[in-house]
Amino acid sequence: MDLSKLSPKHNEFLDFLKQTIIEINEEKAVEMAQRIIDEQIDPWLAIKYSIAEAAKIVGEKFDCGDYFLPHLVMAGDLIEKLVAILEKGIPSDKLEKKRVIVIGTVRGDMHSVGKNIVATMLKAGGFEVHDMGVDVPSSSFIQRAIEVKADMIALSSLLTTTMPYQREVIDELKSEGVRTQFKVMIGGGPVTREYAESIGADGYGKDAIEALEEAKRLLA
Amino acid sequence: MISLLDIAERIQTGEKVEEKQWDMELFKTISSLVKKYGIEFPGGDCFINIDNSLPERAFEAAIECLEKLGIYCITTKRRVKLGREETLRAIREAPSEILMGEGRDRRVWRQRKIEGREKLNVCPGHHTPYTEEIAPLVVKNFAQITRADFIEGFNFSKVDGREIIGPPMEVYASRRQMGWMREGIRKAGRPGMAIVYYPINTRAEDLICVMDPDYGLRRTDGILLSLLPDLKMEQDMLSAAIVYEEYGAFKISGSFAMAGGFCGGVEGAIIEGIAKPIAAMIAYRDYIHYTGVEHIHMLNAKEILLPGVNWARSVVNQALNRFTHTICMRWVIPTSGPGTELNLLEIAMQSIEAAVNGMNLYAPRHCRTAINHGQTPLEAEWMIEIADAVIEQEFNRETASVLITKIAELFENKTPQEGYSITECYDLIHHRPNPDYEKVYNNVKSQLKALGLKLF
Repeated sequence: MDLSKLSPKHNEFLDFLKQTIIEINEEKAVEMAQRIIDEQIDPWLAIKYSIAEAAKIVGEKFDCGDYFLPHLVMAGDLIEKLVAILEKGIPSDKLEKKRVIVIGTVRGDMHSVGKNIVATMLKAGGFEVHDMGVDVPSSSFIQRAIEVKADMIALSSLLTTTMPYQREVIDELKSEGVRTQFKVMIGGGPVTREYAESIGADGYGKDAIEALEEAKRLLA
Repeated sequence: MISLLDIAERIQTGEKVEEKQWDMELFKTISSLVKKYGIEFPGGDCFINIDNSLPERAFEAAIECLEKLGIYCITTKRRVKLGREETLRAIREAPSEILMGEGRDRRVWRQRKIEGREKLNVCPGHHTPYTEEIAPLVVKNFAQITRADFIEGFNFSKVDGREIIGPPMEVYASRRQMGWMREGIRKAGRPGMAIVYYPINTRAEDLICVMDPDYGLRRTDGILLSLLPDLKMEQDMLSAAIVYEEYGAFKISGSFAMAGGFCGGVEGAIIEGIAKPIAAMIAYRDYIHYTGVEHIHMLNAKEILLPGVNWARSVVNQALNRFTHTICMRWVIPTSGPGTELNLLEIAMQSIEAAVNGMNLYAPRHCRTAINHGQTPLEAEWMIEIADAVIEQEFNRETASVLITKIAELFENKTPQEGYSITECYDLIHHRPNPDYEKVYNNVKSQLKALGLKLF
């Protein structure tokens, strides 16, 4: 990201925005995002530098144990709010469509912790995330993915007896003739990369960091 | 004690709360209680709490947490309010021992005391998936462990060669699980040994279908009905709890808190770790719990040890043992897989902790278990061997802490090892580890002897 053309003051603004996101200081972050618009700094710089860098650092802080799951949720919500503010300063024809991911825990499975971590990491990582919760029927994933024009469906399962529902989603996508419209990424305690390959999933994440990297790779 | 029907009413009439709102409320409430009650990790290599005032403060914080938050029903999205007095009354009225099994295999599970000299109750396995081809033999091997008091079932992905998908197949598979368990304990010569059903799924039909004195779950057996993380309950679990109260089976619960989650760090996890078994006892009538604190990154096998987790675990169990009747178990859950040196060292560390913190022993298995890849009987026998030595040598919290610190040094610069499947490292026909695994075992044993543990 080339920030050399910006004045030192505007560089400071972008750094300040990044720092307030890392600190999850909503009031100051929102104020600075508005100021960036008012000062006519290119909002893309704020999104692609301040927000992207901050999201990366928040993820690292979670990974090393400095931050907890609620911090990820708060950072994700804040980023969503900031992007909405900054996008107002971008002409509609120049807006980049965000990559959309529908995520949930498959039918019959009530486990949410791992899915929540992945969902918030994806959100903080710049994706538009639609979290469908737990115990989600296969057809509901597909219906929502079609509705929101998703790029990816991410499926979590923590039980060996619910893993088949990950395959069921892929099978239903095929039978409805929409398999190629969506990438499918799977994960969860007993799920392995070999299993992902065996059911025809496009990607697999062992943990949240790996899931984020996999999503970025698949949707690049 | 608050009746289960009261809970059934409250999950239908309590305040409506969105799950995200609950999660954040939990975080804020617990964070403020951590400050209010001065719960703070002393830092450094503190593996076991020796401050006797801390468990009392932590217990008070947990009671206040339950009074402020209650329990969240994820099915109806309602808050189950709990009054302080009714919570304290439920704690007073809970039993501190549970009778299980029948005939000569009948056993009593008891709450142990901190630094208690009584031997630990033991559940050797499973709580890890196996394939149906080896299932009865695996059960037989675990039931052959003489000190085993009850044995838990397991999950699997295929039954009669068919994939388990959908409620009808789940119901069938649930009953086969019980069939294999009953067959396994008979083959081991322990026909009356208590079995705990490991739910194939948490739908009411899957939970209740195994009730069958002849071929399934007997009245002297038990079922795992766990609260979810963040003090969350499920309607179907409550339905099953009501049925099993009438039937007579006992119930156990996974009641540890997860540091790094919505409860916050290890200090917050202490509060949830104490509140959760109390909540599970009220919501489902669970009296035996695997308790303590784990960390998201350890459960994910990213780190072998993280600062404060062992300490937090000890605070939770000390508080539960001093101020409640909770029958605590240590779910020995190493980050390395079976057949490895690190697996046995982690199990040793956690078994030492269990012995001095008033816990019993439960199902040692790899934290990222996969089919046939979670545990072998050797690890269960090893955890018993270690705990017995700790009792025999009359370790207290201070001396156990010194030993644990030395074991922790062996983990420095190490990362979790994946390990082997049960058929790769264990001879199920002859109930013994294969020669390579036996070498690993003997090596670890020598290391611990050198550190001062008297093992035979």
